[in-house]
Amino acid sequence: MKTSYIPDRLIIFFLFALTVISCDSFVEVDLPKSQLTSEGVFKDFATADAALTDIYAKIRDKGILTGQNTGISCQLGNYTDDLVAYGTPTSTTVSFYNNAVLPSNSDVADYWNASYNQIYAANAILEGIAENISFTSQNKNKLQGEALFIRALMHFYLVNIFGDIPYIKNTDYTKNSLVSRMPAAAVYENITNDLKNAIELLPTSYSTTERIRPNKYTAQALLARVYLYVGKYVQAANEASSVLNQSGIFPLTKNINQVFQISSKETIWQLKAPVSGQNTQEADTFIFLSAPPAMTSLSDNLVNSFASSDLRRLNWIKEVKEENSVFYHPYKYKEQNFTSSSVEYSIVFRTAEQFLIRAEARAHQGDLTGAKDDLNKIRQRAGLLDTQAVTQSEILDAILCERKWEFFTEHGHRFFDLKRFNKIDEVLTGIKPGWKTTDRLLPIPQSELSANPNLRPQNAGY
Amino acid sequence: MNNFSFSVGGRTLYCLIFLGFIMSFPPLLAKNHTRQGNSFSQQHKVQGTITDGSNPLPGVTIAIKNKKNNVVISDYSGQFSLTSSPYDTLVVSYIGFKTQLVPIQGRSTVNIVLIDDTTTLQEVRVNAGYYSVKESERTGSIARITSKDIETQPVTNVLATMQGRMAGVSITQTTGVPGGGFEIKIRGQNSLRADANQPLYIIDGVPYASDPIGFNQTSTTFPTVTSPLNSISPESIQSIEILKDADATAIYGSRGANGVVLITTKRGKEGKTSFTLQASTGTGTVTKFMDLMNTQQYLEMRKKAFQNDNTSYKARDYDINGTWDQNRYTDWQKELLGGTALINNITGSVSGGSNKTQFILSGNYYTESTVFVGDFLYKKGGSQLSLNHQSDNDKFRLTFSAGYNFQDNNMPAFDFTNDARSLAPNAPALYNEDGSLNWANKTWSNPLRNLNAVFKSKTNNLVANTVLSYEVLPRLFVKSNFGYTNLSTRETRINPSTIFNPANNITSARSSIYINNTTRSSWIIEPQANWSKEFAGGNLDILAGATFQNQNSASLYQSGNGFPSNSLIYNLAAASVVTILLNDETQYKYQAIFGRINYNWEKKYILNLTARRDGSSRFGPGNQFATFGAVGAAWLFSNEHFLKNSSWLSFGKLRGSYGTTGNDQIGDYQYLDTYSIAELPYNGIAGLQPTRLYNKDFGWEINKKLEAAMELGFLKDRIFATAAWYQNRSSNQLTGIPMAGTTGFTVLQANLDAVVENRGTEFTLRTININSVNFNWTTSFNITFAKNKLIRFPGLESSSYSQQYRIGQPLNISLLYNYKRINPQTGVYEFEDLNGNGVISFPDDQQAVSDLNPKYYGGMQNQLSYKQWKLDFLFQFVNQKNRAYLNGVAGQMINQPSRMTDSWQEVNDNALYQIYTSGTNSDAVTANYLYSRSTASIVDASFIRLKNISLSYDVPLQMKETKCLIMLQGQNLLTFTKFKDGDPEFTTMGFLPPLKVITAGVQLTF
Repeated sequence: MKTSYIPDRLIIFFLFALTVISCDSFVEVDLPKSQLTSEGVFKDFATADAALTDIYAKIRDKGILTGQNTGISCQLGNYTDDLVAYGTPTSTTVSFYNNAVLPSNSDVADYWNASYNQIYAANAILEGIAENISFTSQNKNKLQGEALFIRALMHFYLVNIFGDIPYIKNTDYTKNSLVSRMPAAAVYENITNDLKNAIELLPTSYSTTERIRPNKYTAQALLARVYLYVGKYVQAANEASSVLNQSGIFPLTKNINQVFQISSKETIWQLKAPVSGQNTQEADTFIFLSAPPAMTSLSDNLVNSFASSDLRRLNWIKEVKEENSVFYHPYKYKEQNFTSSSVEYSIVFRTAEQFLIRAEARAHQGDLTGAKDDLNKIRQRAGLLDTQAVTQSEILDAILCERKWEFFTEHGHRFFDLKRFNKIDEVLTGIKPGWKTTDRLLPIPQSELSANPNLRPQNAGY
Repeated sequence: MNNFSFSVGGRTLYCLIFLGFIMSFPPLLAKNHTRQGNSFSQQHKVQGTITDGSNPLPGVTIAIKNKKNNVVISDYSGQFSLTSSPYDTLVVSYIGFKTQLVPIQGRSTVNIVLIDDTTTLQEVRVNAGYYSVKESERTGSIARITSKDIETQPVTNVLATMQGRMAGVSITQTTGVPGGGFEIKIRGQNSLRADANQPLYIIDGVPYASDPIGFNQTSTTFPTVTSPLNSISPESIQSIEILKDADATAIYGSRGANGVVLITTKRGKEGKTSFTLQASTGTGTVTKFMDLMNTQQYLEMRKKAFQNDNTSYKARDYDINGTWDQNRYTDWQKELLGGTALINNITGSVSGGSNKTQFILSGNYYTESTVFVGDFLYKKGGSQLSLNHQSDNDKFRLTFSAGYNFQDNNMPAFDFTNDARSLAPNAPALYNEDGSLNWANKTWSNPLRNLNAVFKSKTNNLVANTVLSYEVLPRLFVKSNFGYTNLSTRETRINPSTIFNPANNITSARSSIYINNTTRSSWIIEPQANWSKEFAGGNLDILAGATFQNQNSASLYQSGNGFPSNSLIYNLAAASVVTILLNDETQYKYQAIFGRINYNWEKKYILNLTARRDGSSRFGPGNQFATFGAVGAAWLFSNEHFLKNSSWLSFGKLRGSYGTTGNDQIGDYQYLDTYSIAELPYNGIAGLQPTRLYNKDFGWEINKKLEAAMELGFLKDRIFATAAWYQNRSSNQLTGIPMAGTTGFTVLQANLDAVVENRGTEFTLRTININSVNFNWTTSFNITFAKNKLIRFPGLESSSYSQQYRIGQPLNISLLYNYKRINPQTGVYEFEDLNGNGVISFPDDQQAVSDLNPKYYGGMQNQLSYKQWKLDFLFQFVNQKNRAYLNGVAGQMINQPSRMTDSWQEVNDNALYQIYTSGTNSDAVTANYLYSRSTASIVDASFIRLKNISLSYDVPLQMKETKCLIMLQGQNLLTFTKFKDGDPEFTTMGFLPPLKVITAGVQLTF
């Protein structure tokens, strides 16, 4: 230290001065390129609308209504008597087919989680635009109406798949993480209220020619189905009539081969493919070009139940021969590959269902002639003679059969119908060795019971 | 620094040119560095040879006492020469030997025999990151391995080099596929969030982000997405230090909670320019196959299953309904995984320099094929440059190091292990007679279809660092560290139509590709000042510094679907549909100030204070800054008078530390309430989706570490033992709390008021068993007993973790059903009905706890040398439990372990496994599911493994200055375990285990 003229104290001061130099602003960063703040999203109608339409993309691609082989069109088809599954024993499709669905099943977790995620997104829109005063009331009503419709739609499927479920109306995770299950009747109550509000808010017109966003009639079509499921037949018939009365907008498509095309007037709401030229995931899931099929085929049971002249048997089912054996696949959606422009979208609501809803509702009310009229509309389109059913129970049986032929592999209709008619044990016990009466509800996902004790106990049988 | 780049296309070529360059470089050119000397008034030439008694010692420093600028280094034959005055005294020093003072006494030839001094191992300076300490004087807990340990191992991943060698460090290899990853835990799991337990990696002073760079749609070959750590080349490493306790890690503040891994690359040595070339080649095979059923056993199982179910064979039961040949037997493990991986490695380096400037330039090129069928290859190469310089007056110092590495991996996109274990043993042949894939009339999916699904990955990585330091005043150094890293990776995975049976007429219109382009670059600037002063009879060291760090990451994930031809599959422009799955850029900024005060009184009492104040952009406003600090102390009681001259105790130290560190491994931007762009559009509009549940109020995770340790050396340190006890407690757990799906998401980022404790003891023992002229034998042993425990978790029972954790138990537990027996009537597994409600229900009956953490682990290394021979071997041992292999229900069309033949056959059977079913006995299916989550599914997976063995022979050559070493190395050669289902080292079932590797090589130094 002989040449140091700088006192040690100064050095120490210098050392610690160095440590004090700090600028807080250094650790501030810009927003990532792929994100917008929530506040920003709801300042502008275009971005709020993009948040809403994304829910349709999510419904199309993930969870209950997706046309992929994980969705209910495929899995509940396998679960009932529509389809037969192939593939490795560990695949989820085979476990649905064997009626051996476990609480750890990844598709079941998807039905639950994806649906509540879609409900969250709908609630976020309702909350985001609630305070907004800059949107025109027309735009605001449209967003609110569609969000309410989505919320009702997803809860409708959840209650039918899982039984008692929570009805989620906000985005507050502190509450929603510990919600309890609500009796199914109360869930339906909420669904009905949301749909009534949606019907008030939604326009009667479609925003594009393609019927890819729900309007007032779509909400009415769902409400008709909801009333039917809860046994409010007068209201069910009324709501179905409000749709069917618009016969100029929703006529039955005459040509059986055009029912599932984009331009079909019968369509009330369909989910648009992501990219122009792309067609439905259903076609991809069900169609096979050579036998034996890799994943699923239509059950012989179903195929043989059609009258040989039934146009649906001839046009909505395709057979694939392999030496001595014949396999069948659904051929409602016919385009598996890319086309120069898309020809088919995945249809969620169509007029035929409204006729059969009204037929069933009328039959229950004792209006047997009206019921048969509606039923025969569907039979005539399929090239069949009018129904021979006479008594109320015969007519109801005929309706159940007609629904099987009309809606096979469409969004679990068969499963829900068998449950509603209380015939599921009777029909499936003979055909499905694994069927138990407790299989009418799927298990609540294991992860969900772990995460929220208030959802326990598990559904019976799991 | 950031314009330091290499041509991307010709990396292989570059390496070869580089090697050629080394080989063609005439060694003579650089010779004049060695004999420097100033002229003295009275010139006297001294020369001689330095030996250890038998062999010449190269690299020994010979200086003249009290004369500064006259230092030489002995050459490869141990010879030196210098000029001095005739009555000077030589100071001869070399690491591992006692420093000697040799008076010249007018002689012109002075031959010196250095005496081995193990005590000097205590004199080695250990890298502690911002500072270095003498091994004997360190107050913190630092484990260390050096290039000597690394060079004996035929491995490519830096984490592999440490397995079994360090107390408190548990490392598991997750896959044997080249380019795959490792899992490391330093003193256990601190964070509830499984992916937040990574240590901080620092390469030559530059933090190296270990966050994955892969994408789950491209790196499907591995159980976890690609880790950047493979880019570090073990050959270039001089030493790896692991900082474990608060004293060592608190100076890294928020990033030190899980320990710090300091990697120091090789430095040039002054002296003659020397060239080293090494080439090795070898093979890798699977360590252990599972014992699976043969055709006879398998078909018996199947037949019995249908018999039990009382059903007939269905059309798709090809294995048993007569479609497939029932006399056929294929050992699918042998067929699909039984190949031999070829391993080639070539490295070269040139190093040398004067006493003011030293350099080393090295390069390496490595290839490894796979044990799978097919032509796949992993290539890795790189080069490393290091340069040290100091000014004539020694005041200014400069260190520059840069390492560039590339990896080029080409692997099947799916690991064949699962296929190999589950295919029916009478499944058809892989190939037709004409050599094409056999699809057996569409009755199976030929596993080799996946050979056409290829995963490719190319990674380029650059780490560069410059340290400038200047001695402003005597003992006051000002320095700054400037670091830069740049990593880019491109991964692709293709799904061509050729993975489908050609009979299905699936065309390239259905082919697809996934592409991941990820880049990450960072810079760091760390100005520092270091001042030391004699003070009150001791030495005071003060360090202060600041850090500014910035890291940018960009990811672009794309997919392409539908191609006019499969040969265009790598051209996105040819795809009918191109989808951008993610296009994101993120920024991470980090700033800190840190300091250290160390006071060393008479080398007896040492106090070490460290602190850091950190700010991180990963937290929301108000939560960005936090302060961490630690106090460490050591007492070298062997330096006390009463022990100073002890004949048996050569070293004794007690040390302890306490302090806090933090953890900010939460990912970027998690505090923002945002919408992000969705993957697929609707009606031509790019969708906006809520990104996450919004919570801005989360902050640092705090980790409090306490340690006490004793270090003892006996008999001149021939026996050296350490014992350390630690207790680390992590609180304010920053975690993605699993949320009920009803919230809209399944996870929420938040601080949880839970405390996790890791407590353990670590012992190390090094003994020099024999130390003679010709024969040396050293043994090193380490063992760690660790216990992980959840101490506190308010509201656990009503939280989403209620079925994952238990207070007082480790985090890594499984909650299980209690397996009881097989029902003698139905043949179905039975479990304990804890709540007595008559059915086995979740969660009430799934409450048995099984700890899956290792109870203890460690390694024992022996190093023997006899004349020119050296033998080094390491046994690694782990005492642990893990899951037994269970795949599907026995009786279905899935092969099973042969132990499953002991199944229930008839009423009152006393069998190990339940009744077979083809899948329709739903009670058995459910019971099988419960069994896989029961106490019966957890088995002993402890093992003792000959992790590494290396034999080398130093060929006695007459050629001066040339050394030739022949080496034989092996990895995982022997494994002793009770685990029945394949190799016991795995984290996820169904992936290729670590390989058994044997290589032979030659090293030439001249």
